[in-house]
Amino acid sequence: MNVFKRIQNANSQFSGFLFLVLMSGVTSATPPDARRVDVLQHLQQQAQQIRLWQHQEWLNLLHYDKDSGSPSGYTSAVDDARFFNATDGAISPEAELRATLSALYRRDVSGNDHAQCRFVARLHWLKKQLLFDAATLPDVHCPDYAEWYAMVKAQRATLIFPTYHLNSPSSMFGHTLLRLDHSTSIEDSSWLSFAVNFGANTNAEDNSLFYAFKGLTGGYPGIFIVAPYFKKIQEYNRIEKRDIWEYQLNLSPEEVDRMVTHLWELKEINFDYYFFDENCSYRLLELLEVARPGIELTDEFGVTAIPIDTVKAIERVGMIESRRFRPARVTELSALMKTLSSTEQRLMQQLAADPSVFERADFAALNDERKARIIDAAYRYQRYQQGGEVRSDEQARNSHRLLALLNRYPGNIMPPPVVEPTPPELGHHSRRASVSMGERNNEGFTEVAMRMAFHSLEDNERGFLRGAQINMANVQLRVADSGDVRLQQLDAIDIVSLTPRTRFFQPMSWKVYTGFERQITDGKDRLTAHVTAGWGASYSLARNGLLYTLATGRLEHNRGLPGGGIEPALGVDSGLLWHFGKSTTRLELSGERFLNDYYRTRVRYSQNFVMARNHGINFSADYNHNRDDQYSQFSLAYRYYF
Amino acid sequence: MKKLIVGSVLLVSSSAALAVAPGGPDCGWGNMLFEGQSGLGPHFVATTTNGTSGNKTFGMTSGTNGCSTDGALTYGGTSLVSNMMDEFSEDVARGHGDALNAVAASMGVEKADRELFAKVAHDNFNVIFPSENVTAREVTAALNALMKADSRLAKYAV
Repeated sequence: MNVFKRIQNANSQFSGFLFLVLMSGVTSATPPDARRVDVLQHLQQQAQQIRLWQHQEWLNLLHYDKDSGSPSGYTSAVDDARFFNATDGAISPEAELRATLSALYRRDVSGNDHAQCRFVARLHWLKKQLLFDAATLPDVHCPDYAEWYAMVKAQRATLIFPTYHLNSPSSMFGHTLLRLDHSTSIEDSSWLSFAVNFGANTNAEDNSLFYAFKGLTGGYPGIFIVAPYFKKIQEYNRIEKRDIWEYQLNLSPEEVDRMVTHLWELKEINFDYYFFDENCSYRLLELLEVARPGIELTDEFGVTAIPIDTVKAIERVGMIESRRFRPARVTELSALMKTLSSTEQRLMQQLAADPSVFERADFAALNDERKARIIDAAYRYQRYQQGGEVRSDEQARNSHRLLALLNRYPGNIMPPPVVEPTPPELGHHSRRASVSMGERNNEGFTEVAMRMAFHSLEDNERGFLRGAQINMANVQLRVADSGDVRLQQLDAIDIVSLTPRTRFFQPMSWKVYTGFERQITDGKDRLTAHVTAGWGASYSLARNGLLYTLATGRLEHNRGLPGGGIEPALGVDSGLLWHFGKSTTRLELSGERFLNDYYRTRVRYSQNFVMARNHGINFSADYNHNRDDQYSQFSLAYRYYF
Repeated sequence: MKKLIVGSVLLVSSSAALAVAPGGPDCGWGNMLFEGQSGLGPHFVATTTNGTSGNKTFGMTSGTNGCSTDGALTYGGTSLVSNMMDEFSEDVARGHGDALNAVAASMGVEKADRELFAKVAHDNFNVIFPSENVTAREVTAALNALMKADSRLAKYAV
């Protein structure tokens, strides 16, 4: 008993020596098979003595989460029998540890299927925790693992954050993945590095709508995928038009190795997949916890794990060494366009459509530097336009000719002058609490509000996409001066995507907004339920202004409406957004007309002042007019982001 | 270095197998498509869940989708080129870039010789990409021929 206690507490050679002496005393008199049984028994006893299964590293390696419903107090997030050696391994860290030790000593299995080949990180860890003579382990060869390990050959790791992509439900908050780099030298070719991505393992046979629904509600298991990084660049930078941020991590080669060996254990292993909390970003945090024992990253993400919040958490524990911006193709193209004069832009468009414009006198009159720039822009623009389609023979021929022309101007091709935006981790925090005071129709009120995520159009724009709003789970409670407390507003989802149209790019703008809000209808203040959607266009005004108009459709449940049930309406929502750096103005005009001829119009002015990164003051004034009533409201709010 | 080369080819061969039609070694430069480009619908679906469908991939092909890695090895850098032919052609035209560097790395070209590799490729754009119908197999063959003809690059040619 005492001997084992001491072994647990000391890594000294002395206790190791003591153990070996002890072991040899036990084993020398017995035949080989019985000796193995003894060795295993002693290891089990050792583990028992120090309750090794309670160690955080074991819990991390097996992805156990605290679960009061489980007899052991833990349940693994892994939903796959192949990951466990014990039949009740998913709910018992102890049984799994005992079964893992036994499996490592099995002699009736060999090669790739042996536990030594499948659970490499567990083996490495157990070897360090328990004093056992590695020579007693069966000699197993693992060709698959050896091949994979040699191929990945990772020494460094980089956290990758493709920015927000509003047109895709799972990517509007951004996404994170890890890149495993071959060597310490970045120039070597990060394109050939492996990217580690956690995503849903979907079933191709399901039809689209069902698929989307099932994906969002956690109906698909999650799985780790390893693919070449250039595939990810093609996917994000090119097809989805997303900028990418790369954060070099300061993991040591040994720490990276721990992560890589654990990753092998997760090959084709299914996890429970939940979109909001235990998502891609959460799983990456778990990998990093395995890499560097002793750090705690996942605790704060019990409810939601917004990708950029996980980046901030990784930065907080001091793991981020440097940062790099990899602009999307379209970002480069936009930057390039800005360097062309209006005449040059026209030439560029003509050249993109017909490369023989190159021979024309007005083009030939330009100097080499301008020619190179225009050809470069024309090629990029043409490829952008061809986006997601198969090229016609003529298009392919034109593209090829443009490249050949570009090839004639070495030394004159400047990289697009992309201005690096504020890094996303420097933006305000994701949750927002507000306190406000105001007046509606000469009656005062106080309001408290809480928003779980993420960013409003008028919030501090540093680190966010301009014109993109994603609000989820926003609740406002209002206390009237009379003492009444009531729910003023509850937004489930409030997303606005305003991307300005230009001569070259014609994206659509849209919004989706649903929840409960108050409307004075038929003389009474009523809580209504609604679904509202809009579709339209927006345009830039000077450098910092954005003008938008959306056609809207709405379904509203409101007892005050004639008919008193659910009524459809059509309307318009137009506005102006102006960023002054530390302050943002939003002016909005909107209205809708219901099928039963009831109507409303609104004017809203809001001014937001950034006090500090996570503090803001907002002033707003509204005027509402509907068929029966008109009323105005003023409000002054303090907003805190956390 | 040798290990890295084999590794790169291996990992690429698996993705080439996944890309199927668009990235094939005999697919013309002008007909290339990228994964996820087959229309808005499927792409929306794929990004809805950050997911993957059908072929599970772990950077290697063993057991999951039955594609052979041996066959791809004989292509040399072809499968890599076919996976990034669009970017590669653009980089060759410009004379520098990530795709050019990746192709050089996969062919085992040492860092000290990368600049030369880029220059030789750039100077011979019309040889490597003679028309819009050129295939990845032809691109790789032309590249190898150019390397053989250069005293410093000859050792990397297959």
